[in-house]
Amino acid sequence: MVSSRALDAPERAGAAPSSLFLRIKRSRWGYIFVSPWVVLYLFFGLYPLVLSFYLTFFDYSFVTPENRTFVGLGNWIDGVTDSLFWKSLYNIVLNQTTFIVLKNGLGLITAALLVRITWGARLFRTIYFLPVITSTVVLMTIGDNLASPGGPVQKVLIDAGLIAGPVFWKSDDTLPMIIIALINTWKWFGISTIILLAGMYGIDPRLYEAAVVDGAKGWQLFRYITLPMLRPQLFFLLVVDIINGLQMFTEVFSIGFNVYGGINHQALTPVLYLYAQAFDRSNVGYASTLGLLLAFLIALLTALQFRFVRAEAE
Amino acid sequence: MITSFRRISASLVLTYAALTLGAIAVVYPFFFMVNNSFKTGREILHSPTALPSTITLIGYTGVFEELDVLLLFKNSLILAVSITLLNTLLSALAGYAFAKIPFPGRGRIFGFMLITMMIPGVLFLIPSYVFIYNLGWVGHYHALIIPSAVSVFNIFLVRQFMLGIPDEIVEAARIDGAGDPTIFMRVILPLARPALATVAILTFMGSWNDFFGPLLYLNQPEHWTLQLGLLQFRGTVPGENAEQIWALTTLITLPIVVVYFFIQEQFVKAFANVSLSK
Repeated sequence: MVSSRALDAPERAGAAPSSLFLRIKRSRWGYIFVSPWVVLYLFFGLYPLVLSFYLTFFDYSFVTPENRTFVGLGNWIDGVTDSLFWKSLYNIVLNQTTFIVLKNGLGLITAALLVRITWGARLFRTIYFLPVITSTVVLMTIGDNLASPGGPVQKVLIDAGLIAGPVFWKSDDTLPMIIIALINTWKWFGISTIILLAGMYGIDPRLYEAAVVDGAKGWQLFRYITLPMLRPQLFFLLVVDIINGLQMFTEVFSIGFNVYGGINHQALTPVLYLYAQAFDRSNVGYASTLGLLLAFLIALLTALQFRFVRAEAE
Repeated sequence: MITSFRRISASLVLTYAALTLGAIAVVYPFFFMVNNSFKTGREILHSPTALPSTITLIGYTGVFEELDVLLLFKNSLILAVSITLLNTLLSALAGYAFAKIPFPGRGRIFGFMLITMMIPGVLFLIPSYVFIYNLGWVGHYHALIIPSAVSVFNIFLVRQFMLGIPDEIVEAARIDGAGDPTIFMRVILPLARPALATVAILTFMGSWNDFFGPLLYLNQPEHWTLQLGLLQFRGTVPGENAEQIWALTTLITLPIVVVYFFIQEQFVKAFANVSLSK
Protein backbone atom coordinates (compact mmCIF):
# COMPACT_ATOMS: atom_id res chain seq x y z
CA MET A 1 0.00 0.00 0.00
CA VAL A 2 2.78 2.40 0.96
CA SER A 3 4.80 1.72 -2.19
CA SER A 4 1.73 2.12 -4.40
CA ARG A 5 1.10 5.55 -2.91
CA ALA A 6 4.70 6.49 -3.54
CA LEU A 7 4.32 5.52 -7.20
CA ASP A 8 1.24 7.71 -7.58
CA ALA A 9 2.79 10.75 -5.97
CA PRO A 10 4.70 12.31 -8.91
CA GLU A 11 1.65 12.10 -11.14
CA ARG A 12 -0.52 14.00 -8.66
CA ALA A 13 2.07 16.69 -8.32
CA GLY A 14 2.12 17.37 -12.09
CA ALA A 15 0.00 19.98 -13.92
CA ALA A 16 -3.44 18.93 -15.20
CA PRO A 17 -2.75 18.52 -18.97
CA SER A 18 0.40 16.49 -18.49
CA SER A 19 -1.38 14.42 -15.86
CA LEU A 20 -4.01 13.38 -18.40
CA PHE A 21 -1.22 12.64 -20.86
CA LEU A 22 0.53 10.60 -18.19
CA ARG A 23 -2.63 8.68 -17.39
CA ILE A 24 -3.15 7.89 -21.07
CA LYS A 25 0.46 6.85 -21.42
CA ARG A 26 0.34 4.72 -18.32
CA SER A 27 -2.82 2.93 -19.39
CA ARG A 28 -1.86 2.67 -23.07
CA TRP A 29 -2.40 -1.09 -22.99
CA GLY A 30 -6.07 -0.44 -22.29
CA TYR A 31 -6.39 1.25 -25.69
CA ILE A 32 -4.32 -1.42 -27.41
CA PHE A 33 -6.41 -4.26 -25.93
CA VAL A 34 -9.71 -2.63 -26.89
CA SER A 35 -8.54 -1.56 -30.37
CA PRO A 36 -9.30 -4.83 -32.25
CA TRP A 37 -12.97 -4.50 -31.37
CA VAL A 38 -13.03 -0.75 -32.10
CA VAL A 39 -11.45 -1.19 -35.54
CA LEU A 40 -13.66 -4.15 -36.47
CA TYR A 41 -16.76 -2.33 -35.28
CA LEU A 42 -15.92 0.78 -37.30
CA PHE A 43 -15.70 -1.29 -40.48
CA PHE A 44 -18.30 -4.01 -39.97
CA GLY A 45 -20.72 -2.26 -37.61
CA LEU A 46 -20.75 1.50 -37.91
CA TYR A 47 -20.02 1.73 -41.62
CA PRO A 48 -22.77 -0.78 -42.61
CA LEU A 49 -25.13 1.08 -40.27
CA VAL A 50 -24.55 4.33 -42.16
CA LEU A 51 -24.59 2.50 -45.48
CA SER A 52 -27.95 0.94 -44.65
CA PHE A 53 -29.58 4.37 -44.26
CA TYR A 54 -27.86 5.57 -47.43
CA LEU A 55 -29.02 2.56 -49.45
CA THR A 56 -32.67 3.06 -48.54
CA PHE A 57 -32.77 6.15 -50.74
CA PHE A 58 -31.61 4.33 -53.86
CA ASP A 59 -32.53 1.74 -56.42
CA TYR A 60 -29.37 -0.32 -56.18
CA SER A 61 -28.27 -3.68 -57.56
CA PHE A 62 -25.15 -5.78 -56.95
CA VAL A 63 -24.79 -6.44 -60.66
CA THR A 64 -24.82 -2.83 -61.83
CA PRO A 65 -23.98 -0.65 -58.80
CA GLU A 66 -23.03 2.26 -61.08
CA ASN A 67 -26.65 2.53 -62.31
CA ARG A 68 -28.09 3.40 -58.91
CA THR A 69 -30.88 5.96 -59.01
CA PHE A 70 -32.10 8.20 -56.23
CA VAL A 71 -35.68 7.37 -55.27
CA GLY A 72 -36.09 9.50 -52.14
CA LEU A 73 -38.56 7.96 -49.73
CA GLY A 74 -39.90 5.62 -52.42
CA ASN A 75 -38.51 2.48 -50.77
CA TRP A 76 -40.04 3.43 -47.41
CA ILE A 77 -43.46 4.03 -48.95
CA ASP A 78 -43.22 0.74 -50.87
CA GLY A 79 -42.17 -1.03 -47.67
CA VAL A 80 -45.05 0.04 -45.43
CA THR A 81 -47.57 -0.60 -48.22
CA ASP A 82 -46.10 -3.93 -49.36
CA SER A 83 -48.73 -6.62 -48.68
CA LEU A 84 -46.07 -9.36 -48.80
CA PHE A 85 -44.07 -7.64 -46.07
CA TRP A 86 -47.22 -7.47 -43.92
CA LYS A 87 -47.96 -11.11 -44.71
CA SER A 88 -44.46 -12.01 -43.54
CA LEU A 89 -44.97 -10.03 -40.33
CA TYR A 90 -48.28 -11.79 -39.72
CA ASN A 91 -46.59 -15.16 -40.26
CA ILE A 92 -43.73 -14.46 -37.88
CA VAL A 93 -46.04 -13.12 -35.17
CA LEU A 94 -48.20 -16.26 -35.45
CA ASN A 95 -45.06 -18.41 -35.32
CA GLN A 96 -43.43 -16.60 -32.41
CA THR A 97 -46.55 -16.34 -30.27
CA THR A 98 -47.01 -20.10 -30.53
CA PHE A 99 -43.31 -20.73 -30.01
CA ILE A 100 -42.75 -18.41 -27.04
CA VAL A 101 -45.81 -19.67 -25.14
CA LEU A 102 -45.02 -23.36 -25.72
CA LYS A 103 -41.26 -23.15 -25.23
CA ASN A 104 -41.34 -21.17 -22.00
CA GLY A 105 -44.40 -23.04 -20.71
CA LEU A 106 -42.69 -26.37 -21.27
CA GLY A 107 -39.47 -25.01 -19.78
CA LEU A 108 -41.38 -23.86 -16.70
CA ILE A 109 -43.04 -27.26 -16.26
CA THR A 110 -39.80 -29.24 -16.66
CA ALA A 111 -37.95 -26.86 -14.32
CA ALA A 112 -40.73 -27.19 -11.71
CA LEU A 113 -40.40 -30.98 -11.96
CA LEU A 114 -36.59 -31.01 -11.94
CA VAL A 115 -36.38 -28.78 -8.86
CA ARG A 116 -38.18 -31.49 -6.84
CA ILE A 117 -35.65 -34.24 -7.47
CA THR A 118 -31.93 -34.66 -6.85
CA TRP A 119 -31.23 -38.20 -8.05
CA GLY A 120 -31.00 -38.23 -11.87
CA ALA A 121 -31.63 -34.49 -12.24
CA ARG A 122 -28.37 -34.02 -14.11
CA LEU A 123 -29.15 -36.80 -16.56
CA PHE A 124 -32.57 -35.34 -17.40
CA ARG A 125 -31.07 -31.89 -17.83
CA THR A 126 -28.40 -33.28 -20.15
CA ILE A 127 -31.04 -34.98 -22.29
CA TYR A 128 -33.36 -31.97 -22.45
CA PHE A 129 -30.44 -29.86 -23.57
CA LEU A 130 -29.45 -32.15 -26.45
CA PRO A 131 -31.55 -30.40 -29.17
CA VAL A 132 -30.14 -27.00 -28.12
CA ILE A 133 -26.65 -27.96 -29.26
CA THR A 134 -27.78 -29.65 -32.49
CA SER A 135 -27.86 -27.70 -35.74
CA THR A 136 -31.10 -26.15 -36.97
CA VAL A 137 -30.71 -27.68 -40.43
CA VAL A 138 -30.47 -31.20 -38.97
CA LEU A 139 -33.39 -30.70 -36.59
CA MET A 140 -35.60 -29.25 -39.32
CA THR A 141 -34.75 -32.22 -41.56
CA ILE A 142 -35.80 -34.61 -38.79
CA GLY A 143 -38.91 -32.58 -37.91
CA ASP A 144 -39.93 -32.39 -41.57
CA ASN A 145 -39.79 -36.17 -41.90
CA LEU A 146 -41.52 -36.89 -38.61
CA ALA A 147 -44.41 -34.54 -39.49
CA SER A 148 -44.70 -35.44 -43.19
CA PRO A 149 -47.87 -37.04 -44.60
CA GLY A 150 -47.18 -40.75 -44.10
CA GLY A 151 -44.63 -39.95 -41.38
CA PRO A 152 -44.85 -41.41 -37.88
CA VAL A 153 -46.55 -38.46 -36.16
CA GLN A 154 -49.43 -38.30 -38.63
CA LYS A 155 -49.72 -42.10 -38.51
CA VAL A 156 -50.24 -41.95 -34.73
CA LEU A 157 -52.77 -39.11 -35.10
CA ILE A 158 -54.73 -41.04 -37.76
CA ASP A 159 -54.72 -44.22 -35.66
CA ALA A 160 -55.99 -42.21 -32.69
CA GLY A 161 -58.75 -40.77 -34.87
CA LEU A 162 -57.59 -37.18 -34.33
CA ILE A 163 -57.16 -36.48 -38.05
CA ALA A 164 -59.15 -38.09 -40.87
CA GLY A 165 -56.33 -38.60 -43.36
CA PRO A 166 -52.85 -37.42 -44.25
CA VAL A 167 -52.46 -33.65 -43.91
CA PHE A 168 -50.36 -31.88 -46.53
CA TRP A 169 -49.50 -29.12 -44.11
CA LYS A 170 -46.81 -27.43 -46.18
CA SER A 171 -49.39 -26.05 -48.61
CA ASP A 172 -51.78 -25.04 -45.82
CA ASP A 173 -52.13 -21.37 -44.97
CA THR A 174 -51.32 -21.43 -41.23
CA LEU A 175 -49.97 -24.91 -40.45
CA PRO A 176 -46.36 -24.36 -41.66
CA MET A 177 -45.76 -21.60 -39.12
CA ILE A 178 -47.38 -23.64 -36.32
CA ILE A 179 -45.42 -26.81 -37.12
CA ILE A 180 -42.12 -24.92 -37.37
CA ALA A 181 -42.95 -23.42 -33.96
CA LEU A 182 -43.49 -26.94 -32.59
CA ILE A 183 -40.14 -28.16 -33.93
CA ASN A 184 -38.45 -25.05 -32.55
CA THR A 185 -40.09 -25.66 -29.17
CA TRP A 186 -38.44 -29.08 -29.12
CA LYS A 187 -35.12 -27.45 -30.01
CA TRP A 188 -35.08 -24.59 -27.52
CA PHE A 189 -37.17 -25.44 -24.42
CA GLY A 190 -34.03 -26.84 -22.72
CA ILE A 191 -32.64 -23.31 -22.41
CA SER A 192 -35.76 -22.11 -20.64
CA THR A 193 -35.52 -25.15 -18.38
CA ILE A 194 -31.98 -24.48 -17.16
CA ILE A 195 -32.44 -20.72 -16.81
CA LEU A 196 -35.70 -21.10 -14.85
CA LEU A 197 -34.23 -23.97 -12.82
CA ALA A 198 -31.29 -21.77 -11.80
CA GLY A 199 -33.84 -19.12 -10.81
CA MET A 200 -35.81 -21.62 -8.72
CA TYR A 201 -32.67 -22.77 -6.88
CA GLY A 202 -32.06 -19.12 -6.01
CA ILE A 203 -35.40 -18.61 -4.25
CA ASP A 204 -35.05 -18.36 -0.47
CA PRO A 205 -36.60 -21.56 1.02
CA ARG A 206 -37.78 -19.53 4.03
CA LEU A 207 -40.39 -17.91 1.76
CA TYR A 208 -41.99 -21.32 1.18
CA GLU A 209 -41.71 -22.26 4.85
CA ALA A 210 -43.48 -19.07 5.90
CA ALA A 211 -46.22 -19.63 3.31
CA VAL A 212 -46.73 -23.23 4.40
CA VAL A 213 -47.13 -22.04 8.00
CA ASP A 214 -49.83 -19.68 6.70
CA GLY A 215 -51.59 -22.66 5.13
CA ALA A 216 -50.56 -22.34 1.46
CA LYS A 217 -50.57 -25.52 -0.65
CA GLY A 218 -48.74 -26.81 -3.78
CA TRP A 219 -50.31 -24.78 -6.56
CA GLN A 220 -50.61 -21.64 -4.42
CA LEU A 221 -46.91 -21.85 -3.58
CA PHE A 222 -46.10 -22.02 -7.26
CA ARG A 223 -48.49 -19.27 -8.27
CA TYR A 224 -47.71 -16.76 -5.50
CA ILE A 225 -44.04 -17.43 -4.74
CA THR A 226 -42.27 -19.28 -7.55
CA LEU A 227 -43.76 -17.39 -10.51
CA PRO A 228 -43.29 -13.85 -9.12
CA MET A 229 -39.74 -14.67 -7.99
CA LEU A 230 -38.91 -15.90 -11.51
CA ARG A 231 -39.85 -12.57 -13.09
CA PRO A 232 -36.27 -11.56 -14.00
CA GLN A 233 -35.59 -14.89 -15.71
CA LEU A 234 -38.90 -14.87 -17.59
CA PHE A 235 -38.28 -11.31 -18.69
CA PHE A 236 -34.79 -12.18 -19.94
CA LEU A 237 -36.16 -15.15 -21.91
CA LEU A 238 -38.94 -13.06 -23.44
CA VAL A 239 -36.62 -10.26 -24.57
CA VAL A 240 -34.11 -12.67 -26.14
CA ASP A 241 -36.89 -14.74 -27.77
CA ILE A 242 -38.49 -11.73 -29.42
CA ILE A 243 -35.19 -10.30 -30.69
CA ASN A 244 -34.06 -13.64 -32.13
CA GLY A 245 -37.43 -14.94 -33.24
CA LEU A 246 -38.42 -12.06 -35.48
CA GLN A 247 -35.21 -12.63 -37.44
CA MET A 248 -35.98 -16.25 -38.36
CA PHE A 249 -34.62 -17.52 -41.67
CA THR A 250 -32.79 -20.86 -41.52
CA GLU A 251 -35.73 -22.83 -40.12
CA VAL A 252 -38.07 -22.03 -42.99
CA PHE A 253 -35.43 -22.29 -45.70
CA SER A 254 -34.01 -25.61 -44.50
CA ILE A 255 -37.41 -27.27 -44.06
CA GLY A 256 -37.80 -26.87 -47.81
CA PHE A 257 -39.60 -23.61 -48.58
CA ASN A 258 -38.21 -21.29 -51.24
CA VAL A 259 -37.23 -17.70 -50.43
CA TYR A 260 -40.82 -16.59 -51.08
CA GLY A 261 -42.14 -18.95 -48.41
CA GLY A 262 -44.04 -21.23 -50.79
CA ILE A 263 -46.67 -20.64 -53.48
CA ASN A 264 -49.08 -18.73 -51.24
CA HIS A 265 -46.25 -17.24 -49.14
CA GLN A 266 -47.62 -19.33 -46.28
CA ALA A 267 -44.14 -19.59 -44.70
CA LEU A 268 -42.74 -16.21 -45.69
CA THR A 269 -40.83 -14.51 -42.85
CA PRO A 270 -39.51 -10.92 -42.94
CA VAL A 271 -35.87 -11.99 -43.27
CA LEU A 272 -36.77 -14.52 -45.97
CA TYR A 273 -38.50 -11.75 -47.89
CA LEU A 274 -35.58 -9.41 -47.39
CA TYR A 275 -33.27 -12.12 -48.73
CA ALA A 276 -35.54 -12.67 -51.74
CA GLN A 277 -35.59 -8.95 -52.53
CA ALA A 278 -31.81 -8.58 -52.24
CA PHE A 279 -30.53 -11.78 -53.81
CA ASP A 280 -33.33 -12.94 -56.10
CA ARG A 281 -34.63 -9.62 -57.41
CA SER A 282 -31.48 -7.57 -56.75
CA ASN A 283 -33.49 -4.79 -55.09
CA VAL A 284 -30.74 -4.01 -52.59
CA GLY A 285 -32.02 -0.58 -51.59
CA TYR A 286 -35.48 -1.96 -50.94
CA ALA A 287 -34.13 -4.92 -48.97
CA SER A 288 -32.10 -2.53 -46.84
CA THR A 289 -35.27 -0.53 -46.12
CA LEU A 290 -37.11 -3.69 -45.05
CA GLY A 291 -34.19 -4.47 -42.72
CA LEU A 292 -34.48 -1.03 -41.13
CA LEU A 293 -38.27 -1.34 -40.76
CA LEU A 294 -37.87 -4.71 -39.06
CA ALA A 295 -35.10 -3.38 -36.80
CA PHE A 296 -37.31 -0.45 -35.74
CA LEU A 297 -40.12 -2.86 -34.99
CA ILE A 298 -37.86 -5.06 -32.84
CA ALA A 299 -36.48 -2.01 -31.01
CA LEU A 300 -40.03 -0.79 -30.38
CA LEU A 301 -41.15 -4.15 -28.99
CA THR A 302 -38.05 -4.39 -26.76
CA ALA A 303 -38.60 -0.84 -25.46
CA LEU A 304 -42.26 -1.66 -24.74
CA GLN A 305 -41.18 -4.73 -22.76
CA PHE A 306 -38.73 -2.71 -20.68
CA ARG A 307 -41.38 -0.08 -20.00
CA PHE A 308 -43.90 -2.73 -19.04
CA VAL A 309 -41.46 -4.32 -16.60
CA ARG A 310 -40.58 -0.95 -15.06
CA ALA A 311 -44.28 -0.17 -14.59
CA GLU A 312 -44.76 -3.57 -12.98
CA ALA A 313 -41.89 -2.97 -10.58
CA GLU A 314 -43.26 0.37 -9.37
CA MET B 1 -47.25 -39.48 9.17
CA ILE B 2 -47.58 -42.60 7.02
CA THR B 3 -50.17 -41.05 4.69
CA SER B 4 -48.05 -37.96 4.13
CA PHE B 5 -45.04 -40.15 3.34
CA ARG B 6 -47.16 -42.09 0.88
CA ARG B 7 -48.40 -38.90 -0.74
CA ILE B 8 -44.86 -37.61 -1.15
CA SER B 9 -43.61 -40.81 -2.70
CA ALA B 10 -46.61 -41.01 -5.03
CA SER B 11 -45.99 -37.48 -6.28
CA LEU B 12 -42.29 -38.29 -6.63
CA VAL B 13 -43.14 -41.30 -8.80
CA LEU B 14 -45.36 -39.07 -10.96
CA THR B 15 -42.55 -36.53 -11.23
CA TYR B 16 -40.11 -39.16 -12.46
CA ALA B 17 -42.72 -40.59 -14.82
CA ALA B 18 -43.35 -37.17 -16.39
CA LEU B 19 -39.63 -36.41 -16.68
CA THR B 20 -38.95 -39.81 -18.28
CA LEU B 21 -41.78 -39.30 -20.76
CA GLY B 22 -40.31 -35.92 -21.64
CA ALA B 23 -36.85 -37.43 -22.06
CA ILE B 24 -38.19 -40.09 -24.44
CA ALA B 25 -40.00 -37.45 -26.50
CA VAL B 26 -36.80 -35.41 -26.74
CA VAL B 27 -34.56 -38.33 -27.66
CA TYR B 28 -36.91 -40.15 -30.04
CA PRO B 29 -36.27 -37.90 -33.08
CA PHE B 30 -32.52 -38.51 -32.68
CA PHE B 31 -33.18 -42.24 -32.47
CA PHE B 32 -35.35 -41.95 -35.61
CA MET B 33 -32.43 -40.31 -37.44
CA VAL B 34 -29.73 -42.80 -36.39
CA ASN B 35 -32.04 -45.78 -36.87
CA ASN B 36 -32.90 -44.78 -40.43
CA SER B 37 -29.26 -44.14 -41.28
CA PHE B 38 -28.70 -47.94 -41.11
CA LYS B 39 -31.57 -48.82 -43.48
CA THR B 40 -32.04 -48.92 -47.24
CA GLY B 41 -34.01 -46.14 -48.93
CA ARG B 42 -36.88 -48.51 -49.72
CA GLU B 43 -37.16 -49.60 -46.10
CA ILE B 44 -37.12 -45.97 -44.86
CA LEU B 45 -39.99 -45.16 -47.22
CA HIS B 46 -42.18 -48.14 -46.28
CA SER B 47 -41.49 -48.52 -42.57
CA PRO B 48 -39.80 -45.37 -41.26
CA THR B 49 -40.22 -46.25 -37.58
CA ALA B 50 -39.25 -49.93 -37.65
CA LEU B 51 -35.82 -51.19 -36.66
CA PRO B 52 -33.63 -52.09 -39.65
CA SER B 53 -34.33 -55.64 -40.89
CA THR B 54 -30.63 -55.93 -41.67
CA ILE B 55 -28.14 -53.25 -40.70
CA THR B 56 -26.69 -51.70 -43.84
CA LEU B 57 -24.06 -49.00 -44.27
CA ILE B 58 -25.28 -48.17 -47.78
CA GLY B 59 -26.29 -44.66 -46.67
CA TYR B 60 -22.84 -43.91 -45.29
CA THR B 61 -20.94 -45.29 -48.29
CA GLY B 62 -23.34 -43.44 -50.59
CA VAL B 63 -22.73 -40.11 -48.87
CA PHE B 64 -18.96 -40.48 -49.15
CA GLU B 65 -19.29 -41.38 -52.86
CA GLU B 66 -21.50 -38.43 -53.76
CA LEU B 67 -20.11 -35.77 -51.47
CA ASP B 68 -16.61 -34.91 -50.32
CA VAL B 69 -17.65 -35.24 -46.68
CA LEU B 70 -14.11 -34.86 -45.37
CA LEU B 71 -13.74 -31.58 -47.23
CA LEU B 72 -17.02 -30.32 -45.73
CA PHE B 73 -15.76 -31.36 -42.28
CA LYS B 74 -12.49 -29.57 -42.89
CA ASN B 75 -14.24 -26.38 -44.06
CA SER B 76 -16.59 -26.38 -41.05
CA LEU B 77 -13.61 -26.89 -38.76
CA ILE B 78 -11.50 -24.13 -40.35
CA LEU B 79 -14.32 -21.64 -39.84
CA ALA B 80 -15.38 -22.75 -36.35
CA VAL B 81 -11.84 -23.04 -34.96
CA SER B 82 -10.57 -19.71 -36.29
CA ILE B 83 -13.68 -17.79 -35.23
CA THR B 84 -13.53 -19.42 -31.77
CA LEU B 85 -9.82 -18.73 -31.22
CA LEU B 86 -10.12 -15.10 -32.34
CA ASN B 87 -13.19 -14.49 -30.20
CA THR B 88 -11.68 -16.04 -27.10
CA LEU B 89 -8.43 -14.06 -27.38
CA LEU B 90 -9.90 -10.71 -28.43
CA SER B 91 -12.75 -10.75 -25.92
CA ALA B 92 -10.30 -11.69 -23.16
CA LEU B 93 -8.08 -8.72 -24.05
CA ALA B 94 -10.94 -6.23 -24.31
CA GLY B 95 -12.68 -7.68 -21.25
CA TYR B 96 -9.50 -7.22 -19.21
CA ALA B 97 -9.09 -3.62 -20.40
CA PHE B 98 -12.71 -2.76 -19.57
CA ALA B 99 -12.58 -4.43 -16.16
CA LYS B 100 -9.10 -3.69 -14.86
CA ILE B 101 -7.29 -0.89 -16.76
CA PRO B 102 -8.79 2.52 -15.87
CA PHE B 103 -7.87 4.24 -19.14
CA PRO B 104 -9.38 7.70 -19.79
CA GLY B 105 -12.55 7.37 -21.92
CA ARG B 106 -13.19 3.80 -20.79
CA GLY B 107 -16.69 4.55 -19.51
CA ARG B 108 -17.72 6.21 -22.76
CA ILE B 109 -16.39 3.44 -24.99
CA PHE B 110 -18.06 0.81 -22.82
CA GLY B 111 -21.35 2.73 -22.83
CA PHE B 112 -21.22 2.96 -26.60
CA MET B 113 -20.56 -0.77 -26.75
CA LEU B 114 -23.64 -1.51 -24.67
CA ILE B 115 -25.76 0.57 -27.03
CA THR B 116 -24.48 -1.36 -30.06
CA MET B 117 -25.63 -4.56 -28.34
CA MET B 118 -29.21 -3.34 -28.60
CA ILE B 119 -29.19 -3.04 -32.40
CA PRO B 120 -30.88 -6.06 -34.04
CA GLY B 121 -28.53 -8.01 -36.33
CA VAL B 122 -30.95 -7.97 -39.26
CA LEU B 123 -30.12 -4.31 -39.79
CA PHE B 124 -26.55 -5.21 -40.78
CA LEU B 125 -27.49 -8.04 -43.11
CA ILE B 126 -27.77 -6.19 -46.42
CA PRO B 127 -25.27 -3.32 -45.89
CA SER B 128 -22.61 -5.72 -44.57
CA TYR B 129 -23.10 -7.88 -47.62
CA VAL B 130 -22.79 -4.85 -49.91
CA PHE B 131 -19.59 -3.79 -48.12
CA ILE B 132 -18.00 -7.25 -48.13
CA TYR B 133 -19.09 -7.78 -51.75
CA ASN B 134 -17.42 -4.51 -52.73
CA LEU B 135 -14.26 -5.53 -50.87
CA GLY B 136 -14.21 -8.62 -53.10
CA TRP B 137 -14.31 -10.97 -50.12
CA VAL B 138 -17.38 -13.00 -51.12
CA GLY B 139 -16.31 -16.59 -51.71
CA HIS B 140 -13.46 -16.43 -49.19
CA TYR B 141 -13.34 -17.69 -45.62
CA HIS B 142 -12.26 -14.31 -44.28
CA ALA B 143 -15.62 -12.85 -45.37
CA LEU B 144 -17.04 -14.87 -42.47
CA ILE B 145 -14.07 -14.93 -40.10
CA ILE B 146 -12.99 -11.28 -39.89
CA PRO B 147 -16.39 -9.62 -39.24
CA SER B 148 -17.13 -12.17 -36.51
CA ALA B 149 -13.62 -12.16 -34.98
CA VAL B 150 -14.95 -10.50 -31.83
CA SER B 151 -18.46 -9.94 -30.58
CA VAL B 152 -19.67 -7.28 -28.18
CA PHE B 153 -21.65 -9.90 -26.38
CA ASN B 154 -18.54 -11.99 -25.62
CA ILE B 155 -16.59 -8.94 -24.43
CA PHE B 156 -19.43 -8.07 -22.10
CA LEU B 157 -19.55 -11.63 -20.75
CA VAL B 158 -15.79 -11.71 -20.03
CA ARG B 159 -15.77 -8.21 -18.56
CA GLN B 160 -18.57 -9.08 -16.12
CA PHE B 161 -16.60 -12.11 -14.97
CA MET B 162 -13.33 -10.19 -14.63
CA LEU B 163 -14.99 -7.54 -12.45
CA GLY B 164 -15.21 -10.33 -9.88
CA ILE B 165 -11.44 -10.82 -9.83
CA PRO B 166 -10.11 -8.73 -6.87
CA ASP B 167 -8.22 -5.57 -7.87
CA GLU B 168 -5.59 -6.38 -5.21
CA ILE B 169 -4.30 -9.29 -7.29
CA VAL B 170 -3.72 -7.00 -10.29
CA GLU B 171 -2.26 -4.24 -8.06
CA ALA B 172 0.12 -6.68 -6.39
CA ALA B 173 1.45 -7.80 -9.79
CA ARG B 174 1.86 -4.15 -10.85
CA ILE B 175 3.87 -3.36 -7.72
CA ASP B 176 6.10 -6.31 -8.53
CA GLY B 177 6.87 -4.47 -11.76
CA ALA B 178 4.67 -6.44 -14.15
CA GLY B 179 3.22 -4.59 -17.17
CA ASP B 180 -0.30 -5.15 -18.48
CA PRO B 181 0.70 -7.80 -21.07
CA THR B 182 2.45 -9.84 -18.37
CA ILE B 183 -0.44 -9.44 -15.92
CA PHE B 184 -2.85 -10.49 -18.67
CA MET B 185 -0.87 -13.61 -19.57
CA ARG B 186 0.23 -14.76 -16.10
CA VAL B 187 -2.54 -13.57 -13.78
CA ILE B 188 -5.75 -12.85 -15.65
CA LEU B 189 -5.89 -15.63 -18.25
CA PRO B 190 -5.66 -18.49 -15.71
CA LEU B 191 -8.27 -16.87 -13.44
CA ALA B 192 -10.69 -16.10 -16.26
CA ARG B 193 -10.78 -19.65 -17.60
CA PRO B 194 -14.46 -20.32 -16.76
CA ALA B 195 -15.60 -17.21 -18.65
CA LEU B 196 -13.34 -17.99 -21.59
CA ALA B 197 -14.68 -21.55 -21.70
CA THR B 198 -18.18 -20.11 -21.94
CA VAL B 199 -17.15 -17.85 -24.82
CA ALA B 200 -15.36 -20.67 -26.60
CA ILE B 201 -18.24 -23.14 -26.28
CA LEU B 202 -20.94 -20.72 -27.39
CA THR B 203 -18.87 -19.39 -30.28
CA PHE B 204 -17.82 -22.81 -31.54
CA MET B 205 -21.36 -24.13 -31.39
CA GLY B 206 -22.79 -21.08 -33.12
CA SER B 207 -20.23 -21.23 -35.88
CA TRP B 208 -20.40 -25.02 -36.40
CA ASN B 209 -24.19 -24.88 -36.67
CA ASP B 210 -24.33 -21.63 -38.66
CA PHE B 211 -26.17 -21.90 -41.93
CA PHE B 212 -27.05 -18.36 -42.97
CA GLY B 213 -23.50 -16.96 -42.97
CA PRO B 214 -21.99 -19.67 -45.21
CA LEU B 215 -25.08 -19.50 -47.45
CA LEU B 216 -24.50 -15.78 -48.00
CA TYR B 217 -20.75 -15.69 -48.34
CA LEU B 218 -19.47 -19.07 -49.55
CA ASN B 219 -20.76 -19.64 -53.05
CA GLN B 220 -18.09 -22.09 -54.24
CA PRO B 221 -18.78 -25.81 -53.58
CA GLU B 222 -15.15 -26.30 -52.48
CA HIS B 223 -15.81 -23.91 -49.57
CA TRP B 224 -19.11 -25.41 -48.44
CA THR B 225 -19.59 -26.38 -44.82
CA LEU B 226 -21.43 -29.48 -43.55
CA GLN B 227 -24.66 -27.54 -43.03
CA LEU B 228 -24.60 -26.21 -46.60
CA GLY B 229 -23.61 -29.62 -47.96
CA LEU B 230 -26.64 -31.24 -46.33
CA LEU B 231 -29.02 -28.79 -47.93
CA GLN B 232 -27.51 -28.90 -51.41
CA PHE B 233 -27.48 -32.64 -51.22
CA ARG B 234 -31.13 -32.77 -50.26
CA GLY B 235 -32.06 -30.51 -53.13
CA THR B 236 -30.44 -32.40 -55.99
CA VAL B 237 -32.38 -35.70 -56.02
CA PRO B 238 -35.56 -35.30 -53.95
CA GLY B 239 -36.81 -38.43 -52.21
CA GLU B 240 -34.22 -40.62 -53.88
CA ASN B 241 -31.42 -40.53 -51.33
CA ALA B 242 -33.22 -40.83 -47.99
CA GLU B 243 -30.65 -43.23 -46.53
CA GLN B 244 -27.83 -40.85 -47.42
CA ILE B 245 -29.59 -37.88 -45.84
CA TRP B 246 -29.93 -39.76 -42.54
CA ALA B 247 -26.32 -40.89 -42.71
CA LEU B 248 -25.16 -37.31 -43.27
CA THR B 249 -27.33 -35.77 -40.56
CA THR B 250 -25.98 -38.42 -38.16
CA LEU B 251 -22.41 -37.61 -39.20
CA ILE B 252 -22.97 -33.86 -38.72
CA THR B 253 -24.53 -34.31 -35.30
CA LEU B 254 -22.12 -36.90 -33.89
CA PRO B 255 -19.02 -34.71 -33.25
CA ILE B 256 -20.89 -32.01 -31.33
CA VAL B 257 -22.86 -34.56 -29.29
CA VAL B 258 -19.65 -36.41 -28.36
CA VAL B 259 -18.02 -33.15 -27.25
CA TYR B 260 -21.22 -32.26 -25.40
CA PHE B 261 -21.30 -35.46 -23.38
CA PHE B 262 -17.69 -35.00 -22.31
CA ILE B 263 -18.10 -31.40 -21.14
CA GLN B 264 -21.87 -31.16 -20.69
CA GLU B 265 -21.52 -29.40 -17.34
CA GLN B 266 -19.60 -26.56 -19.05
CA PHE B 267 -22.17 -26.41 -21.86
CA VAL B 268 -25.06 -25.98 -19.46
CA LYS B 269 -23.08 -23.51 -17.36
CA ALA B 270 -22.24 -21.52 -20.49
CA PHE B 271 -25.92 -20.90 -21.14
CA ALA B 272 -26.68 -20.22 -17.48
CA ASN B 273 -23.78 -17.70 -17.34
CA VAL B 274 -25.29 -15.79 -20.24
CA SER B 275 -28.53 -15.21 -18.41
CA LEU B 276 -26.86 -14.37 -15.09
CA SER B 277 -24.54 -11.74 -16.54
CA LYS B 278 -27.49 -9.67 -17.74
